[in-house]
Amino acid sequence: MKLTLPPRVSPTQFDAALKAYVDVVGKEWVLASDEDRDAYSDIYAPGSEEEWPASAAVSPASLEEIQAIVRLANQHKTPLWPVSRGKNLGYGTAAPRMPGSIVLDLSRMMKVHELNAELGYCVIEPGVSYFDLYEHIQREKAPLWMSVPGNAWGSVLGNALDHGMGYTPYGQHARNLCGLEVVLPDGDLMRTGMGAMENNHSWHVFPLSFGPDWTQMFTQSNMGVVTKAGVWLQPAPETSLQLTFDIPNEQDIGWVVDTVTPLKTAGVIEQNVFIPSWLGKIVLKGQRKDFWDKESAIPEWRVQELLKEHKLGYWQVQIRFYGDETLNKARAEIVKKAFKQHLDVPPHEHWWRQGDPVNQYDVTMGVPSAVALQMGDWVGGRGAHMGFSPVVPATSKHVLGQLNRSRKIIADHDVDFYASFTIGGRFATNINMLMYDRDKPEQVANIRKMFDALIAGTAEAGYAEYRTHLGWMDKVNDTYNFNNNAQRRLNEKVKDAIDPNGILAPGKQGVWPSIYRDQPEGGKA
Amino acid sequence: MKKALLMAAFFLAACNSADAPTPEAAKGAAGGPPPPPPYQMRAAMPAGDRLAAGRSGEELFSNRCGSCHLAGGMGTNLLTKQRMMAGEPPENGLLANRKDLTGDYVKAVVRQGKMAMPRLSRTEVTDPELDAIAAYLGKAGQ
Repeated sequence: MKLTLPPRVSPTQFDAALKAYVDVVGKEWVLASDEDRDAYSDIYAPGSEEEWPASAAVSPASLEEIQAIVRLANQHKTPLWPVSRGKNLGYGTAAPRMPGSIVLDLSRMMKVHELNAELGYCVIEPGVSYFDLYEHIQREKAPLWMSVPGNAWGSVLGNALDHGMGYTPYGQHARNLCGLEVVLPDGDLMRTGMGAMENNHSWHVFPLSFGPDWTQMFTQSNMGVVTKAGVWLQPAPETSLQLTFDIPNEQDIGWVVDTVTPLKTAGVIEQNVFIPSWLGKIVLKGQRKDFWDKESAIPEWRVQELLKEHKLGYWQVQIRFYGDETLNKARAEIVKKAFKQHLDVPPHEHWWRQGDPVNQYDVTMGVPSAVALQMGDWVGGRGAHMGFSPVVPATSKHVLGQLNRSRKIIADHDVDFYASFTIGGRFATNINMLMYDRDKPEQVANIRKMFDALIAGTAEAGYAEYRTHLGWMDKVNDTYNFNNNAQRRLNEKVKDAIDPNGILAPGKQGVWPSIYRDQPEGGKA
Repeated sequence: MKKALLMAAFFLAACNSADAPTPEAAKGAAGGPPPPPPYQMRAAMPAGDRLAAGRSGEELFSNRCGSCHLAGGMGTNLLTKQRMMAGEPPENGLLANRKDLTGDYVKAVVRQGKMAMPRLSRTEVTDPELDAIAAYLGKAGQ
């Protein structure tokens, strides 16, 4: 990829900055060739990867190196785009929001500082992947389970900081963060929560502080670089029981949600309940062309045929219980009774006990896997995906409203409908997986147009996305419009106060520092 | 959705007869696809300078590439399907079993990516690490 310089930085200034970084980390860890820039681009970019180009990357190995780089970035006015492992696939991968930003790649920071089996937490650096942490726990024989996202190739901290979700009782990953260590935009160092006190023993167990706590300010944020954090882990259960229900019809999602939500908020169900639609099961039987040989969306009559041919329900609900066998049985009885009011077919039941093998693809058991990336194979070619991810209250009224609204917009654009809902408590996240072949420009253009329409239509109805791709951060930020976008105005005020040079992740989540705000070269326009 | 895609891997992974699962693992959906191999622990990152030659290519491959390229991994599943369509045995889905790879080809795919495989940066796999991995996998050139 050709070199795109940061706004208002000359080639000489850029070279001087890189030389300064070399003095900190050594020349091998400053990456600035065309091939290096390619490696940090968005492999699933909806359009050209050059829309979101990094100019270079620098890879520090320690807290001190990070502080030195951040100070130099202020001096040279070269903006940084921090990534933990840079695997934010579907949302931009490692690529920066503002063209020319230098990726601050923290993947060499791989230390597990502490694994506390007694209280169930670890203290880790941003470069620790789900695979690394899982294997560390196995090697230590610690009785702890992780919560993993569908694709677990990335960083544990990176996923939590970007509000990723998993499917166990610990599935809301940002909530597992307890006590962050953060390099601020001026190179200063602070610790959130009880870590604000030197040597405090409760840093990674008590989630608040004395006075306002800043932990959330550093999630989905450009206010600091998280260099270390506490993450809560689940005690390994003695047993686990999974109930699998096939739900026949599309509109049944209404009663499913009204059945699951009260059980979840009451604590009978502890995990995040993932409910994928039928297309999820067809993809395991081949490629799209095997089932529908036209580019146009699979029509409803063909969907009904496929469901019948493959004996599938429109949705599948799997509910897993963790812990004591007696408790699991009792909880399962309550859930089965509730489902029986709507569904005659009893669920398939599967017990797991300590010592039994764990299915390596079962994300509800906290095992990391990258096989979710196989979805690219469904459309063929250089398949890619983007997720449209609004949050709605977990009741039938809101879930059915969201389903029908996005289904119509997606049908209007002649794209396959592939939705899932995850009930996380009082809310449900609705992931609409939009798959496309990157080498078909008309498909890419259609997906982009549809994404705009989904954001607008959803916002008009009173809902918003909780996470999005680089290219839509400003648009989604715009939908958070209470009192003339008061939240953004506050974020910008804070940003300008602590990062006057705008060197940390300009434009992340639609928050721009004043020096790049309204600059066309900043990419906001 | 993601879980369903994981299911796709069950089928492909089970083609690998070298990793026959235990009967306990087979308690999934009755009449459904065979179960996957158990989680494959990667080798620990070999000690030593990441910028120097001389570390084990086999261990580096396992540690740096193992998230996708051990039994049941995403890369193995897609390659198993690809190799079988080319008339080869399913075992060839594992890169470590391939006899037709050259070191240069391995390096090109790692740095340039291929289909579902993203490019890997020189931070994720350093040049000396890639040299060792390419020497280990590149059996055709030896």
